[in-house]
Amino acid sequence: MPQDASARAEFIVGVRAFAPLSMSIIPFGVVCGAAASTAGMTPLQASAMSWVIFAGSAQIAATQLFASGAPLLVILATAAIVNLRFLMYATSLATRFRNQNRRWQALIAYLLTDQAFGLTVVHHSQHPERQADLRWFYLGVAGATWLSWQLATIAGILLGSLVPASWSLDFIVPLTFIAMVVPLLDDRAMRLAAASGALASVLLVLPLKLNLIGAALIGVAVGVAAERLWVRA
Amino acid sequence: MGQGMNHLPGELAGELFVWSMIVGIGVATFLLRFAPIALLARLELPAWLTQALRYVPPAVMAAIIAPPLFFADGTPTIDANLPRIAAATLAAAVAWRTRSTLWTIVVGMLALWGLQALLA
Repeated sequence: MPQDASARAEFIVGVRAFAPLSMSIIPFGVVCGAAASTAGMTPLQASAMSWVIFAGSAQIAATQLFASGAPLLVILATAAIVNLRFLMYATSLATRFRNQNRRWQALIAYLLTDQAFGLTVVHHSQHPERQADLRWFYLGVAGATWLSWQLATIAGILLGSLVPASWSLDFIVPLTFIAMVVPLLDDRAMRLAAASGALASVLLVLPLKLNLIGAALIGVAVGVAAERLWVRA
Repeated sequence: MGQGMNHLPGELAGELFVWSMIVGIGVATFLLRFAPIALLARLELPAWLTQALRYVPPAVMAAIIAPPLFFADGTPTIDANLPRIAAATLAAAVAWRTRSTLWTIVVGMLALWGLQALLA
């Protein structure tokens, strides 16, 4: 907790802003922990996924590939592609946090998630006058996300084997992704990128479990091509 | 398992594989998050990269969502996962209307359980 009163207030505003999201992050974390555990990782390895990587989508993609016996390099490359979006988020945050020292920047980077990025951008545009304490708002959101994620994963590792498969709790994973992807589909190029990514992931037959990478690249190419065609037209 | 680890005893090779995976993804992920913040005061991403990165989330997420809906045991199918496809479609409609992750999960899970009970 920061000593300065306005910094502390912003930290608490950040934690509060995170609260409604905990309802979706916690089930996702539980499923991630349970999946890693079921895939054959030890409890230490399964929880390390969450604090070393700390990126749910990449963790679940890597876990599924690991369970299906994919080669190490394919798992690493797939996770990197899934996490390419952080390059975009971090670029956008860079201008807002350019005056922070290296230690703060490393902490901000480690804690970067879809949620922390989204909430911080919205908060900053609504309260530009609080720029000086923006890092504390960010730390409130991101710290609460981190803690929820770690506890949820541990719960998943401990309880995962007790939940019968007939409950179909693994379905929370696609549902979480649906909730993340649908709001992005406001323009035609984004819809085409998603549709071709989905189609390619189902129809593409690639060796070594390269499907996700192939489908992602096709989706991005179609999106970019569509945007260029429509801008020119 | 990794090709180069075949000469190690099975259990050790497995441990090494998992830790290489975790640390490898962890380092790559941290660099993707850190590099722009650390360097971008001086550096800017080229326009084509910024444009392409915009399409990574929809393409990747759609490619993660679709296969489990249309595959069973590695072969394309529709019938086996009809409840999942229907529940996912309904969840997408809820996500579009409410923009709420919580409602998307709640409605999607209830729909799946309902359909599984009906078809059981």
